[in-house]
Amino acid sequence: MTSKRFALPNLGLGVGLRSAHFSYILENQPDVDWFEIISENFMDSGGRPRYVLDQIAERYPVVMHGVSLSIGSTDPLDFDYLNKLKRLADETRAVWVSDHLCWTGVAGLNAHDLLPIPLNESTLAHVVSRIRTVQDLLERPLILENPSTYVTFSGSTFSEWEFMNQMAVEADCGLLLDVNNVYVSSVNHDFDPVEYVESVARERIVQFHLAGHTNCGTHLIDTHDAQVIDPVWKLFGRAHSLTSGAATLLEWDANIPEFPVLHAEVLKARNYLTSDWADALPAGSARTFHDQAAAGVPHPLDFIVPNID
Amino acid sequence: MQPTLDLEEIERWMQTVIMHPGGVRQGLACEDARRYAEKTDDNIEAIVARSTALTAIERLAIYSRAYQARLLECLRAEFPALSHALGADLFNRFACDYLQRHPSRSYTLGRLGEEFPRYLAETRPDANLSPSSRESWPDFIIDLATLEREFSEVFDGPGVEGQQVVVEDDLSELLASERWTEAMLVTVPCLRLLSFRYPVNTYFLAARKNEDAEFPEPALTLLALMRRDYRVFLHELSHDQYEVLKALTAREPLAQAIKRATPTGVDSDAFADKLIEWLNSWAVAGFFSAIVVPS
Repeated sequence: MTSKRFALPNLGLGVGLRSAHFSYILENQPDVDWFEIISENFMDSGGRPRYVLDQIAERYPVVMHGVSLSIGSTDPLDFDYLNKLKRLADETRAVWVSDHLCWTGVAGLNAHDLLPIPLNESTLAHVVSRIRTVQDLLERPLILENPSTYVTFSGSTFSEWEFMNQMAVEADCGLLLDVNNVYVSSVNHDFDPVEYVESVARERIVQFHLAGHTNCGTHLIDTHDAQVIDPVWKLFGRAHSLTSGAATLLEWDANIPEFPVLHAEVLKARNYLTSDWADALPAGSARTFHDQAAAGVPHPLDFIVPNID
Repeated sequence: MQPTLDLEEIERWMQTVIMHPGGVRQGLACEDARRYAEKTDDNIEAIVARSTALTAIERLAIYSRAYQARLLECLRAEFPALSHALGADLFNRFACDYLQRHPSRSYTLGRLGEEFPRYLAETRPDANLSPSSRESWPDFIIDLATLEREFSEVFDGPGVEGQQVVVEDDLSELLASERWTEAMLVTVPCLRLLSFRYPVNTYFLAARKNEDAEFPEPALTLLALMRRDYRVFLHELSHDQYEVLKALTAREPLAQAIKRATPTGVDSDAFADKLIEWLNSWAVAGFFSAIVVPS
């Protein structure tokens, strides 16, 4: 099946490639449809991470997912970074390249977080202009994801889905709909996640993300450290039915389970790929923390460090 | 009057607030943040809206906590032996101060810790004393941090996997020639020579394997850090071996390496025999990428 935008394929059900699973994947070649990588972990690698990626890219479709493009920043675009991104995409034959609607730093710094921008006409023009530049350099469409956010701005005049829709049309880019992020942000910002999913430009959606999160009582944090909860699965079912399907990927970045557990979690999506999604089986519940310091770190964050044999 | 900030001003204000080491309230009160908005609830909520459950400040605090927690997690992951040696509290204090002085300027977290060993050396409490008057435990801490950083760089830096390297037969052929002392042995890019004041390699390996790691006594420790088949190995070196390898990495011919490393009073021919033995073992370990004989 081909998604309606950019003739990009529906890759099926994939998982995020994490270093904890490198050896398992090379040794067992699991029957996974595709892998998504964190681009920055491999752009400069001359060691085992890049070797493993090359092996995996020989056998599986690979999609690149970045965390440092900083498309919403007012700093100039980093062309050194973009050139490395393009080189990696070419070398791994990445099926597409994605990042987030966010900024990660300004004044030359990188907070390594996916920070939100005000959503208004002025920021829309800023982001659209930068997406066009990036797409021209990458010579491929950019796919942008809605991040989980914890603040909104008084200067916003659009809802996030309105902004994403206009951005996608004006910049002619694709969307990565993170269903868990929609749910997390809906609780944090008091909006209806179903309205979001039903309103976002379905014809622009190239990919879905799924993940677990942590309930801190007054808000949710996108910790990527647990199973996907039932309401998120149901949102996914709705989104999937509206789009006629798109590549779907599970992210798991902390308390990472053994690979078969990770893979089994994304395969639960099959239960929601039918029209009777609302009746599908429940799948766990979010961890609840009231001690916010213990709640974990918002993700994606996968930092590769060497192991000692 | 409530502030009306453009995107760049909002980003600079928010970054200042959430990256402040004292937390979001101190961040809001600092001079750099007050350049954009005085710290009053009205001013802050003119920029960041409240939700039904949280105030604007409470919402900003989520990002502030995440900034510290995320980057500390990365530094702990890169420096586990150092974290073990210092204990969690002291490690976090050093790491927080380091992040304040050296905030990330790179797209990759792989560079986050690159200045940490130098930071520890520059901020040691007795840095203004002469070396002979200093306490020795900071030397151990700095050496350990240096080894962990070098280990990371060798692990993910350029290597020679899949490429031809000098093997024993190549070396035998060279050594059988008359001009072998004129040759240069080019070392591979994934070889690092390190000199430490403590045997940090022992502590490093034990801590990383979650074994009992005892604080060692000071002892000059010379190491070659080397990657082969994507695995990093630590080779202990004698002083003479270290000097030879140092000369070779500086692209000096073997004759010069012998001259530099031959101990005073030792016959250089006798030393050459020992050298040949070392060169063979290093070739087996994959230390050399090429033999260059001047024409």
